[in-house]
Amino acid sequence: MARRLPTVFLVAAAFIFPYCVQRIFLHTPIEREMGTAQKIFYFHVPLAWLMMAFAIVAGIAAGIQLRRGSLRAEATALAAAEIVLLTGIGVLVTGPIWGHATWGHAWTWDARQVTTGLHWLIFAAYLLVRRYGAAGSDRLAAALAIFGAVNVPIIYYAVKIWKTTHPSNEVVGSLPAEMWASLWPALIALALLSIALLLVRLRQELTDIALDEAWIRLNERGEA
Amino acid sequence: MNEEYEPVEGLDRASKACVRACEAEAAAKTASDYQHIVWAYGILWALFAAYGVLLWKRASRQRVELLDLERRLRETP
Amino acid sequence: MTSLRQAWLLARNDLRQELRDLELVLTAGFFSLVVLVMFGLSFSALGREAQVLAIPGVLWLAVAFIGALTLTRIFDREREADTLRALLVAPVERQAIYLGKALVTLMVLLGCMAVLVPGLLLLFPAAAPMATRPGATACLVVLGCIAYTSVGTLFAAGLASSGGKNVLLSVILYPLTTPALLVAVVATRALLEGHPAFPAYLKQLAAIDAVTMVLSIWLFESVLVGTGASARRR
Repeated sequence: MARRLPTVFLVAAAFIFPYCVQRIFLHTPIEREMGTAQKIFYFHVPLAWLMMAFAIVAGIAAGIQLRRGSLRAEATALAAAEIVLLTGIGVLVTGPIWGHATWGHAWTWDARQVTTGLHWLIFAAYLLVRRYGAAGSDRLAAALAIFGAVNVPIIYYAVKIWKTTHPSNEVVGSLPAEMWASLWPALIALALLSIALLLVRLRQELTDIALDEAWIRLNERGEA
Repeated sequence: MNEEYEPVEGLDRASKACVRACEAEAAAKTASDYQHIVWAYGILWALFAAYGVLLWKRASRQRVELLDLERRLRETP
Repeated sequence: MTSLRQAWLLARNDLRQELRDLELVLTAGFFSLVVLVMFGLSFSALGREAQVLAIPGVLWLAVAFIGALTLTRIFDREREADTLRALLVAPVERQAIYLGKALVTLMVLLGCMAVLVPGLLLLFPAAAPMATRPGATACLVVLGCIAYTSVGTLFAAGLASSGGKNVLLSVILYPLTTPALLVAVVATRALLEGHPAFPAYLKQLAAIDAVTMVLSIWLFESVLVGTGASARRR
C-alpha cells in the first residue's frame, strides 16, 4: 500500500485540480475590493501554508536525524527542504504578481515578504550545504533545518509585530463561506501533490543511499 | 430639439460618456487581472512540472545504475 | 558552574593568544573603520529624515560583515591546526567550548561597535539620540551582537570541524541572522525617532537572543560530534 501511495495521491490531485479551477473561476463571486486578480489568492495562501508546514517537517526530521542518526529522517529532511524550496518559489512569485495586479507594487519590502524570502534562502542554504559541504557537514545542515523550522513562527507573526502592507492573519479567518469552499479544494489538491512529490523524492534518496552502499560492498567484495 | 422635453435622468450624452469611461476602466482592469492570473497559474504549473521532470530524470539514472549493479553482481560470483 | 568556568578559561586562552599579535583586533577594527568611511561617503548627502532611515541599516549591516569576518578568522586558527578536534577530545564540556568561542567573538564584535557607534555619531547628525541615551544604545548594541554571535558561532564551528569551505559560511550566516538583525534595525530606528515602542523591541531582541542561545547550545554537540548513534556511523 505504501508503495502505491504517491500514485494514489497524484491521481487524486489530478482529479481535484480541474474541480478547483472550475470552482475558483466559475462559482466563486468576484471580490469587491480587488477584483478578479484575487483569484490568485486561492493558490497563494495554500502554498504559503504548505511551505511553513513542510519547513516544520524538515526541522523535526533533522532533529530526529541528529538525535538518533536515522538515515530515513535525514532523507525526509532533504525531501521536505526541496518541497519548501518549491512551494516557496510559488509563494514568492504569486505574491508579487497579485500585488502588482491589485496595487501596482510587486515587492514592497514588507515584513512578511522579506521574512519569507529569508526563510527560502535558509533552506536554499541547507541544500547547498548538503551538496557542497564536506563530509561531516550533514549534521551542520540539520542544524540549519532546525533553525529554519524555528523561523516559521517569525514569518507567521511578522504581520503582527511589524506594521506591514501585507493582509493580516485575520483575513483568512473572516472569509465568507463561498470563498472558504473554494479554498479547501485548492489546499487539498496542493497538499496531495506536495506530499506525493515528497514521498517520491524520499524514496529516491533512500534508493541513492542503498545504491551507494551496494557499490561499496561490491567493490570490497571484488578486492577481497 | 423640442425645448419642452428634458432628457430622462442619466440618459444625456455627458453621463453616458461618463458611464462608458468607467466601464472601459473596469474592462481594462479585468483584462490586466486576467493577464496576471494566467502568468501566476502558468508559473506555478511550470514549477511543479519542472520538479516532476527532475524527479523523473533522477529515477531513470537510478534505474540505469541498478541494472549496471545487477550486471556486475552476475559477473562476479 | 564548571561550564562557565571552563568557558572563561578557553576564552581567556584565545584572548591571550590574540593579544600576543593583535591580529584579529586590528584587522577587525580597521575593517570597521573602512566600512564606516564607505557608508559615510555613500550617505553623507542625505537629509536628516533620510539619515534616520539609513543609519540603522548601516549599523547592522556593518555588524553582519564584521561578524562574518571575525568568525571566519577565529575558526581559521582552529582549522589550520585542527585544534577543535583536540578540544573535543579533552575533558571539556561541549557547552564550554561553544560559550568560550562565542564570548571571544562577542568581545571582538563589541570592540568594533565601540569604533562604529562613535563614528556614526561623528558622521551623521541624525544619530544624536544614540549619544543622549547611551544606556539604551548600549543595551541595543549588546543584545543585537549577542543574537548574531550565538547563531554564527554554532555554524562557524560546525563548518570548521567538518573542514568545510569558507564560502558556505556566508551562504549560511546571512539568511539565518537577518531576522534578528531586522528586529535590531527596527529597534534602532525606534531609538533614533524616539518611538515609544522601543522597550518592546528590546524585549523582542532579548527573546530572540534567549531562543537562539538555547538552541545553539543544545545543538552544538550534535553538530560537531554527533550523539552516540550518528557518531558511531561516521
